[in-house]
This record gives sequence, C-alpha cells and structure tokens, in this order.
Amino acid sequence: MGEKGAHQPTSPEMTVKITEAQSAQQGPPSTRRILPRELYGFLFVGPAILFFVLVSIFPLLRTFQMSLIDVEAGIPLFVGIRHYAELVQDPWFWSSLTNAFVFTVASVILHIFIGMVLAILLNETWFSTTLRNIMRGLLILPWVFSTASAGLMWTLLYHPFGLLNYLWVGLLGQEMPIEFLAKPGLAMASVVAVNTWKAYPFYMIIILGGLQAIPPELYEAAKVDGANAGRRFWHVTLPQLRPILIAISTIDIITTVGHVDLIRMLTRGGPLRSTETVAYYIYKTALLDGNLGYGAAVSTLMLIMVAILIIVYLRLVSRGSESGETSF
Amino acid sequence: MKRASDLRFRYGYLIHQVFVVSLTTLSAIIILTPVVWMINAAMRPIKEVLTYPSRLDPSQLTFEYMASLIENELYRGYFLNSTIISLSTLAIVLVLGLLAAYGFSRFKMVGGRYMLLGIMALLMLPTVTLIVPYFRLAHLVGLYDTLFGLIVVNSAFILPICIWLLKGYMDAIPVDLEEAAMIDGCTRLQAMQKILVPLAVPGIVGTGTFVFVFAWNEFLLAVTLTDSPGSQPLTIGLAAFFGQFVRDWNSIMALSTITSIPLMIIFVLFQRWVVQGMTSGAVK
Repeated sequence: MGEKGAHQPTSPEMTVKITEAQSAQQGPPSTRRILPRELYGFLFVGPAILFFVLVSIFPLLRTFQMSLIDVEAGIPLFVGIRHYAELVQDPWFWSSLTNAFVFTVASVILHIFIGMVLAILLNETWFSTTLRNIMRGLLILPWVFSTASAGLMWTLLYHPFGLLNYLWVGLLGQEMPIEFLAKPGLAMASVVAVNTWKAYPFYMIIILGGLQAIPPELYEAAKVDGANAGRRFWHVTLPQLRPILIAISTIDIITTVGHVDLIRMLTRGGPLRSTETVAYYIYKTALLDGNLGYGAAVSTLMLIMVAILIIVYLRLVSRGSESGETSF
Repeated sequence: MKRASDLRFRYGYLIHQVFVVSLTTLSAIIILTPVVWMINAAMRPIKEVLTYPSRLDPSQLTFEYMASLIENELYRGYFLNSTIISLSTLAIVLVLGLLAAYGFSRFKMVGGRYMLLGIMALLMLPTVTLIVPYFRLAHLVGLYDTLFGLIVVNSAFILPICIWLLKGYMDAIPVDLEEAAMIDGCTRLQAMQKILVPLAVPGIVGTGTFVFVFAWNEFLLAVTLTDSPGSQPLTIGLAAFFGQFVRDWNSIMALSTITSIPLMIIFVLFQRWVVQGMTSGAVK
C-alpha cells in the first residue's frame, strides 16, 4: 500500500479503475472459440423464448385488447376508450394510486434501510463465523414464509387481544388496545410493517453481497487517511454500493407496487379503502366484481407506469455494463 | 507505548464485538417473534391464545391441532396439490432455464443482448397486470381450475430470474473443460450434461430452492386461476380456512405452521447456496 495507496479513496478515478479492473477479471470467459454458427444458440434459447411469447407476451397484449372491450353481457362488445374515460373520473382509482404510492415509498425505504443496517452488521468481523452464519440464517427466515402465512402471523400479533396489545395494555398499562388494522391511517402503517418484515431479507442479502465485493484496501486507505467509521461509510461504502442500490430500489418499487396477496390477507383494502392500492384495485374490480374490461384498463395503465420504470432501469443497466460498472 | 495501544485495540475490539453481536441478536429476536408466536399458538391450549391478560409461555404443549389437520382429507389434498405444483414448476423451469442460460452464456447470438434485456424486463413484470388476461385465456383454452394451468403460469413468472441466475453461474465456469470433452468425442449436449451441469450444481440448487419457495408460496395466480379444492394449493387453503374459522386461532396457526414446515426444512438444508447465488450470481 504505502503512501500512494493512502490517496486512493480520495480520487474518484482510481475507484472507477478498480471497479473496472475487477469486472474485467470476473467477466465471462471468451465464448468465441466454441462458436460454430451464429444461429446455433437459438436451439438452446428457443424453447424458453417460445414459452415467454406464449405465456407472457401474448397475454400482455391481450390485456390491452381486453381493456377496449366489454364482456359483461356475455358477448364481447367493442367500447373503445370508454373504460379509460371512466377511469379518469373514478375517484377510487386515484385514491388507489395515492395509496400505492404511500405503500411503495414507505416499504422501499424501510426495506433498504433495514437491509443495509443488518447487512453492515453481518459484514463486520465476528469473533465466531459460525455464530454469524447462524444469525444470517435467522435473519433471512422471514423471506421463506408465504405471504399467506406472514399475513396470518401478523393478524394474530395485531389482534386486539394479541401479543402487541398484550405488551401495550398489559405491560405499559394503557387502557385501550390499539386497533392496528381497523384505523385508516394506522392500517396502512401496519401493512407496511408486515411487508417490511417479509421482504427486507432479500435486499439484506444482496446488499451483503455488494459489501463483500468492496475491496478492503479502500477501507484501509481511508483509515490511513484518518477517516472515521461514519466518513468511511459515506465516502467508500455508499459510492461503491451505488449501482446495487439503484438496481434493488427499482426492482423493489416494481415488486412492491404489484402486491395483492398481503393486502388481501391483512385488510382486504379496508378500512374505508385506505389500504386499497392500485394492484388490489385491479384484483377487486376484475376478479371480485367480475368487471374484466375495466380491470384490464387499470392493468394497462399500471403496465405503462411499470414499463417506464423498467425502461429507465434497463438504460441505467446497459450504460453501467458498457462502462464496466457492476450492476444487476 | 506499544503496550498501551495494544490494550486500547483489544478494548476497542471487545466493545465492537459486544455492540455488533448484541445488536444483531436483538434484531433477530424481534424479527423472529411472529414465527415463534405462530408455532406457540399452534401448540398451546385454545383458551390461552387470546385471553386477556394472557401469559406468554404455554402451560402445556400439544400437537392435537396439527394432527387433526393432517388427518383431514381436505388439507392433505391441498398439501398434495402444493407439492405437485412446486415440483412440476421446478422441473419445467430448470429444463428451460438451463438450456436458455447455456445458450446465452456460450453463444454469441444475433439479438442476444436484446433478448436478455427482454428477459430482464419480464423478470420485473408484476403478476397482477396479467391476471385479467390469464383468467380469460384459461377459460378459453380449458385450463381454468387445473393444476396444469397453474404450473404453466407459475413457470412463466419465475423463469426469467432463473435464466439470469443460472447464466451468472455458467459465465463463471471456463469453457475449456467443455471444449476438451468435445474434442474427446462428446456431443455438445453430453458435454453440457457431464461437465457443465455437475460444476454448476451449487447454482442449480440455489436457483431450485428459489423456484420451489416461489411456487409453494404463490397466491395471486392461484386465486385467479383456481376455484375448487381439487386444484388449489395450501396458500389458498390457508386463506379459505382463515375466512371460515376466524376465531379458531389454534388451528389457523397450526395450518400455517404445517404450510411453512417444508420450506423451513428446505431452507435449512440449502440456505448456503441460496445466499451464495444471491450474493454472487445475481449482482454481477
């Protein structure tokens, strides 16, 4: 290391070069040598692509088509953009968008914050690696349970006579139990808490992977420069994790906005439709009320919003892989 | 002088360890409370679950509720359906995924990059945006309320991430070994089976666990595409049970525990590979 090394973290160019050198080493081995024909690969990729076209892409196009017809009377009737016109004036659609926004933003922030804190703890030096691995296993556990199970576990905890109220009333001496899932503002917070519990492990593990990939020399150099733990986090850890954080927050936004099962298990969109997100609204209008055309219109709008996010993300990823930065 | 700094170092190390270990342990205890409480409620006398003020520790433990659910024909049916759905999804996804990952990893294709980007877009597609056409199409092609229909759509949703993970693993395995095998007279498929697949076993196990957990826990597609216990998985059975016997928390938690047991076993066995796959393969 020596004196030169000490200046490394302060110069951004060096950091970039290190990442480039790393990914050059880790990059895929040359595939050119075993290349008989340009088309040979399609034999392997073909079945999966065909499967996607039939089971994902064709239904995707059908969503749009179905939003333009009305099938309630049994005979498909072309209604053009009528569903979209109704949608714009539907206050429940707009409130479901607001709810989805609150639900998603709060969940994503909590997932990444908790995931980051626990990943940092797991990435510290532990006196016993076995203990650390056990802790890592225990901390991932919530990810394994189904949303149905998780929803029920928490419904029991949130129950007016459940564990949380046992602590609130029994130990803290409060008079009234908290109705976690029955008060409009609180219900959303309670649902977010369950979603955070269920989903943070995935992000914790990916952030942990990102932390492990940061070259230790960067930290050593920062230490030599006299940077304390806080500054090391700010100037070494965060910039190094940036591509991963961008990737997982995009993926998280898209996953979270699509949640139906959790809300179905916990609140069914209530109380007073305060936890009815746009995804739950699709499920409710299309499957519970049987209004497929209208549900398809909401789905199409949601697809457009998600598509914009995906395109922005893919552009970031392609740019990242061209410049040699690591990314998802 | 040296001794003093040495001591300070040890002292600092000790504080650091106590801080890290206790904070992690505290988090783990809080995070595992719902799970412990579920198992606790599944195994204690009925009057102890929601009494007020309650006691935290059960006065006696019983397997009565779980046993009566296992004896019930209906819930055995749900369990069997979940097993069939998860294993079939796993089979389809691994075959299609391994072939596609091999293709993307070992060949340069016309438009290969765009296909990969397309797969990444599919990876992020929310399930809920496709339930409307699935509901309609399943009726049209006669796959509504069948296990097969559910297996096919489950596979479509989990396949993209599998291709991505498996491709990551294959990229990390040098092609030289396969080339050598092919020079020795193996066909390409033989080289793939005998050289590449065995080397990629950790990746396949990790990805497979991912698929199994996904398929076992899937809820929205099942609620969209099935209507009768003959084709419904355990997750739906659990929701239906909850709707029907809202007050019987012992049995609800017992069923929830039974639903989760296979996953906990699989997780304990394969955790290492899942974590490995997610920390190295996915984020590259």
